[in-house]
Amino acid sequence: MSEAYGVVLFFTTSSAIRGEKVAKRQGLRVKLIPTPRQLSSDCGMALRFAWRDADDVRRCLEEAGVENDGLHRI
Amino acid sequence: MTGLKGFFSSRWGPIATGVVVGVLAPILVKLGNPGNMGICAACFTRDIAGALGLHRAGVVQYIRPEIIGFVLGALVASLAAREFRPRTGSSPFIRFFLGMFAMIGALVFLGCPWRAYLRLSGGDWNAIPGIAGLVVGVLIGVVFLKMGFSLGRNRPAPKALGWAMPLLMVVFLAFLIFAPQFGRDAEGAATGPIFFSAKGPGAMYAPLLFSLAVGLLIGILAQRSRFCTIGAIRDLAILRDAYLFWGVVALIVAAAITNLALGQFKPGFADQPVAHTNTLWNFGGMVLAGLAFTLAGGCPGRQLFLSGEGDADAAVFVLGMLGGAFVAHTYSTASSPAGVGAFGPIMVVVGLVFCLVVGLTMRERRT
Repeated sequence: MSEAYGVVLFFTTSSAIRGEKVAKRQGLRVKLIPTPRQLSSDCGMALRFAWRDADDVRRCLEEAGVENDGLHRI
Repeated sequence: MTGLKGFFSSRWGPIATGVVVGVLAPILVKLGNPGNMGICAACFTRDIAGALGLHRAGVVQYIRPEIIGFVLGALVASLAAREFRPRTGSSPFIRFFLGMFAMIGALVFLGCPWRAYLRLSGGDWNAIPGIAGLVVGVLIGVVFLKMGFSLGRNRPAPKALGWAMPLLMVVFLAFLIFAPQFGRDAEGAATGPIFFSAKGPGAMYAPLLFSLAVGLLIGILAQRSRFCTIGAIRDLAILRDAYLFWGVVALIVAAAITNLALGQFKPGFADQPVAHTNTLWNFGGMVLAGLAFTLAGGCPGRQLFLSGEGDADAAVFVLGMLGGAFVAHTYSTASSPAGVGAFGPIMVVVGLVFCLVVGLTMRERRT
């Protein structure tokens, strides 16, 4: 079975870019991707991460104060 | 249905949308629309502004059913997919001016990004500096995005707000069909508006029902696939992702083939329809447009589709475009086939300064 991924959705492009920056600074393996079409969102960019890192990603974004529209498993 | 839904969510969605636009736009030209202007979000919004009397350039006044179709098609698609979400609150006042300057820039070049690609596929090489300017404008916008530029997030709004823009389009459709004459002179004789051009590009149009149907179809497809001619370049720059970019490539290729098949491919710089040959300002106008579109988050087509699915901020951007048409054709900033307008270049500089100030001062507020 392939690895399970999740994405963080954002309200704005700049939050998405900042989200990537703070997550990478924490050494998390993340990648900005176009928001998966089936997950509707205001922002065209989402941050993909390995689902097992979900708690770390959530905490990291919270600590940096990056507003987001939640973590979603894909 | 699920299969079709999956198709448009897949990487084929933007490509299919690009092909449909690329095939239908030259056919619209064949059926009467101005040359290399089967579809142009900027020119057509400008024509609507003229028909409403917001500017008095007599050759570019017509209520373009394609624009109405874009909004209503996106409305129908978003309702069917349960994606109709009325929302607002992301700096609408700033978006008005971004729409205005995007329009002013586009009318220095003479076309929105869609028409830039369509002009290219019709052999109008003046589109090349325009597209180069567009790319530069988007890249400047990307720098601002990376520096933390943001117009802030939107919030859910009451349902009624989302219906305002579609309703406005229905009113425009009624104006188009019934052509009421609102202006009256001292003797009470009708003087317009609604204005319809007797000659010039505004007097060139495909049959109403066909144009409306094409608009609706593209509105539906684009809402489903998120087709965006600006997002295409932006995502390539930031994400190294070509998902939307292939849609634009598909549009250009499909339109070039269709133009060849219809005998509408005429390569060269001189004597192109509704175009001028000033390379510097074909480039400069589109730098401004590309930057303004990027700061606002999407090309004019995308702004129309968003306004159809309830995004009131995008609707304000579209109103800004109507305002930009008023400025462009009243303050002599719009180009014409004769060349650049008297105040076009200076207004492009003013617009660029405005965008730079917006780009540097509007930042994400940390929560």
